[in-house]
Amino acid sequence: MKHGTRREKRLRNRIIATAVLALLIILATTFAGILAPNDPYATSASSIRMAPGAQYPFGTDNLGRCVFSRVLYGGRTTIAATFLLVFISFLIGTVIGMLCGYYGGILDTVLMRLADIMLAFPQMVVAIAVAGILNAGMTGAMVALGITMWVSFARLARSHTFSIKNEAYIQAAFFAGKSDFYIIMVHIFPNLLAPVLTNALTQIGTTMIGLSGLSFLGLGVVPPKAEWGSMISEGRAYIQIAPWAVLFPALATIITIIIFNYLGDAVMDYMEV
Amino acid sequence: MAESLLQIRNLSASYDESFVLKGIDLTVYKGEILCIVGESGSGKSTLIKAICSDKSVRVTEGDILFREKRCGHELLGSSIGLVQQNPEGAFNPLRAFDVQFKETLKSHKRELDKKKLSGIFTTLGLKDAEKLLKMKPFEMSGGMNQRMAIAASLILEPELLLCDEITSALDVSTAIAAVDELLRLRSELGVTIVFVTHNLGIAANIADRVAIMYQGKIVEIGDAGDVLRNPKHDYTKGLLRDVPKLKLS
Amino acid sequence: MVLLEGKNLNKCFNDKQGYTNALKDVSFSLNKGEVLGVVGESGSGKSTLLRVVSGMIPPTGGSLLYKGEEYTGKRPRKTGEFLQVIFQNAKSSFDPRMTMEKAILENGRGKKDRAEILELLKLVGLEERQLSKRAGELSGGQCQRMSIARAFYSEAEILLCDEITSALDVSTQARVVELLQKLKSDGKLSAIFISHDIALVSMICDKIMVMKGGRCVEQGTTAEVIGSPKDEYTKLLIDSARRQSV
Repeated sequence: MKHGTRREKRLRNRIIATAVLALLIILATTFAGILAPNDPYATSASSIRMAPGAQYPFGTDNLGRCVFSRVLYGGRTTIAATFLLVFISFLIGTVIGMLCGYYGGILDTVLMRLADIMLAFPQMVVAIAVAGILNAGMTGAMVALGITMWVSFARLARSHTFSIKNEAYIQAAFFAGKSDFYIIMVHIFPNLLAPVLTNALTQIGTTMIGLSGLSFLGLGVVPPKAEWGSMISEGRAYIQIAPWAVLFPALATIITIIIFNYLGDAVMDYMEV
Repeated sequence: MAESLLQIRNLSASYDESFVLKGIDLTVYKGEILCIVGESGSGKSTLIKAICSDKSVRVTEGDILFREKRCGHELLGSSIGLVQQNPEGAFNPLRAFDVQFKETLKSHKRELDKKKLSGIFTTLGLKDAEKLLKMKPFEMSGGMNQRMAIAASLILEPELLLCDEITSALDVSTAIAAVDELLRLRSELGVTIVFVTHNLGIAANIADRVAIMYQGKIVEIGDAGDVLRNPKHDYTKGLLRDVPKLKLS
Repeated sequence: MVLLEGKNLNKCFNDKQGYTNALKDVSFSLNKGEVLGVVGESGSGKSTLLRVVSGMIPPTGGSLLYKGEEYTGKRPRKTGEFLQVIFQNAKSSFDPRMTMEKAILENGRGKKDRAEILELLKLVGLEERQLSKRAGELSGGQCQRMSIARAFYSEAEILLCDEITSALDVSTQARVVELLQKLKSDGKLSAIFISHDIALVSMICDKIMVMKGGRCVEQGTTAEVIGSPKDEYTKLLIDSARRQSV
C-alpha cells in the first residue's frame, strides 16, 4: 500500500539515521585508546583548569586531566556497563517471563507478585538503597539497577508467551511429541524476540541515566576511573571557574541518551506499523 | 423496467496502489433484491464500501448515483442502511439496545417511534420488543444480534439496505431464518436490498437478480434463475460446481 | 477393524457462571478406512468432542480406546503417535518463522525422510518449491494441504479434522474436499470430520453423527441419516442445507 509504504520508508530512514549516530558513539568510545589525545588519568600541575584549546579540545579539570580523553574513556565505561546490564536483564527477564507464561500456576503467581513488589517502589530509590548496601563500584550499581530492570522484560515476555501458547502451531508441536524445552526454545522464543528486543533498545537510555545518576551520587564508579556521572559530580565544585569540566560530560550524556531513546522509539514505531 | 434507485457507472476504485474494482457498471432497481456473489478478494466488500463513501476506498473513475444524485456521506443511515458481517461490532456490548437505538435516531434528529419499531420487530420475527430493547448485546446470541442490527438500520427507514455477508457468521439454520426475514421485510416494507455473499446457495434463496464478481469485475449479471441454471461465464460454472451438495449415498 | 472408540464421553466445564455440560454421554466408533462426520451448529459440543478425543482436554467421564487399548487422559504428546489434528485455521497451525519443510520434519518424531515428504506433497497436490515457503507466503488452501501432508508424515493413522474448510473459499474448499475423497478412495484415510455443513459432511463421510447441546441426537450411516432422518433437528439441518444448495 502506497500510504503504508511511504510511512514505512520514512520510519526506516529514521531508524537508519539514528542507528548510524548510535554506532558512531559506540565506535568512538570503544576506540577511546586510539582516539584520545592524552592519557585520561595523567595529572599535570602545570595545566590545571585550562580552557578548551588545541592540546586539550575540551579543556582540563581540577587535576589537569584532559576532559576530552576522559569523556571518551568515561563513555566506554557507561556504554559497556549499560549494554551488559540491559543484556543480562533481558536474558533473565525473558527466561522468567517465558517460564511464567508457559507453565502458569504457582510459579507464575509467586514470580509475578515479586515483580509487582519491585515495581511498587520507584526504580531509583531501590537502586540507591541497594547500591548503598553493596560496596561502591560499577558492579554494585549494575546489580542495584538490575534488581528492578528484569521486571519489564519478564512482563512483556510473559504476555507474549500467553498469546503464543494458544496458537494452533503450539498444539501441533504437542501432537508432534515435542518437549516443553523444545517448544519454548524453537517456537516461543523466536516469536517473542522482536517485541522484547525493542523493549531492550528503549531501556538503554533509561539505564544510562540510572548508571550515570548513581555515579553522580558517588554510588557508581570509584573516582579516579572516568565516568560521565562522576565527572559531572567532581566538576560541580568549580563550575564557575571551569564550566567545561561539567559541560562536556553532561552534553555527552544528554546526546547519547537522546540518540538511544530516539532509536528505541523509532524501532518501536516501525514494529507497530 | 422499474425505477432505478442506485446507479453505478464505470466505477474503478483502489486501496492506494492496487486496483480492486475495475469498470463496474451496475443498476439497482427499486424494490428488488440484488445479490452480489464473489469469493474473497473479488472486490465485493470494496464495492459496498465505495457505495457508503468509505474513506479508505479511493474512487479513481466513474460515478455512484443514488436517485440521480452523487452519493455522499449524508445519505448513509437515512437513505442507505448498512448491516455488516459481525453484528457485535455494530453495538456497544454493554449498553441496552433502546438507549443505543435512541442515540442513533437522535443523531439523525428523529424521535423513537415505538409503534414503528415494534412493527419492524414483528416483521423480523422478534417477539416481546419491550423486553428485547432492555437487553444488552452481550446477553444475546449472534443470530439475535444480527436481527437487532437489521432492526437498527431499518428504524431510519432507508430505501436501500446493504447487507455485507450478514449470514456468514451465523449457523446454517439461523442463516436460512435470516434470509426468510429479509424476504418478508421486502414484501412488507418495500425496501430495496443489495445482498453481498460468498454463498451461492443463500443467493439462490433470496435474489431476484444475481451479479457474480471475480477479480474486481462483474463477470455475469442477470435474473437469479438464469444465472444459476444456465451460467454463461466459466467462473460461474466452476463456482456452481463447487458448492457442496447433499449426497444421499 | 475398530481403530478408535469413545464410550459415554462426558465433559463438564467449571467456570465463573457455574457448571456447563459440554458433552453428554457421547459414544462413537471409527473403523479403519472410514470417515465419521460430526455435524452440529455452534455450541453443539462438536469442537469439545474433538478436543476430548485428541487428548487436548481430559474427559470428565467415559473412556477412549485406540485399537482396544484405553488411552483416556493421555495428552497430545502421546496421542499424537496415532492421531493428528488438522486445525480450522491452517495458517496459524504453522509457526510463522518456520519453513514448511522444517514444520513437516518436526512432525516425524526424529524421522528425516525427504523422499517421503516429496511423495506426500505429490499426494496432496503441492510442489517441491513450496517446501521452502513459510505459512504467510502460502494461500489458505495450500496451507491446509500442507497440514494434511504434515499429518501423514507422522504415520499416525487417524486424522481429526476440525472445520478444516470453513475458513476457505467455496472453490478452494471444493479442491480440499476432492483431495479428501481421493485419499479415502485410496484407502489412506481414517478420519473424524467435524463441520457445521451437513452437505459437505455427506460428500466425504461414511457415517454421520448429529450433535446438539452436547448430545448426539442421531447417528448412522450417511444414507440412513440423510435419506431418512429420524430426529427433528437433523431434519431441520438437512432442510436448511437443501435450501442452500443451488
